[in-house]
Amino acid sequence: MTGTYATVITVVALLLAGWALICAALNRRPTLCLFAAGVLLEALLLVFAVGGVVQMAGSDRQFARAEFVGYLLGCLAIPPLAFYWARGERSRSGMVVIALALLITPVMVLRVQQVWAGSVG
Amino acid sequence: MVEPGTQHSPAPTGQGFGRVLVAVYGLFALAATSRSAVQIATELYKAPLAYLLSAFAAIVYIVATVSLARGDMTSRRLATVAISIELVGVLIVGAASEWFPSVFQHPTVWTGFGSGYGFVPLLLPFVGLWWLRHTR
Repeated sequence: MTGTYATVITVVALLLAGWALICAALNRRPTLCLFAAGVLLEALLLVFAVGGVVQMAGSDRQFARAEFVGYLLGCLAIPPLAFYWARGERSRSGMVVIALALLITPVMVLRVQQVWAGSVG
Repeated sequence: MVEPGTQHSPAPTGQGFGRVLVAVYGLFALAATSRSAVQIATELYKAPLAYLLSAFAAIVYIVATVSLARGDMTSRRLATVAISIELVGVLIVGAASEWFPSVFQHPTVWTGFGSGYGFVPLLLPFVGLWWLRHTR
């Protein structure tokens, strides 16, 4: 998997996570702006997943392919689920849920890279 | 104070702090489900006990997530049962994996008291049961 692109996703996700954490600390509700940033991250993840599957299909190497696809799908699923589950929450917990998801995303991207490299599974 | 004879309606379990708790349960439901799906689909023969345990843990997490999110009276009972099973499961599997490591060479969510997941699987049932009590 291309290292630079994964690093970009990691940085974007961490920046958004920081943003969400600050909003949670200030007791702010999710805004359209944060939602738009979440959509941007999701678009980056979608390209990552498609690119990953294409690269996997073009590779003869032995690695845990099912796990690889599983982690890619996990990456894609987590941010939308978090935004969906956080909607309508009146306390700051909704923001914490979004921040958690954005902190998990880089971990998932890292796992994708580890499985790709063959050090896991 | 609950007046005698009036219906006491408990606080919802899926709001406030419960929103975060359900999210964490959901994450473990997702992790355990995908892990066991991959394990069972690709290499069940290698360690059937560990992999079927993973699937069992996945079901427990799914039931806990959905019932905590719903939060009606029936769901509360279901959540209490599921989280109690989760607590017993993580303690038994955690202890068994310490005593009989050869049987648990292939990891599950509960192996080593959830050490592969920062011991969150050990902490989670205590928090879950506390939350159910707290919102009663």
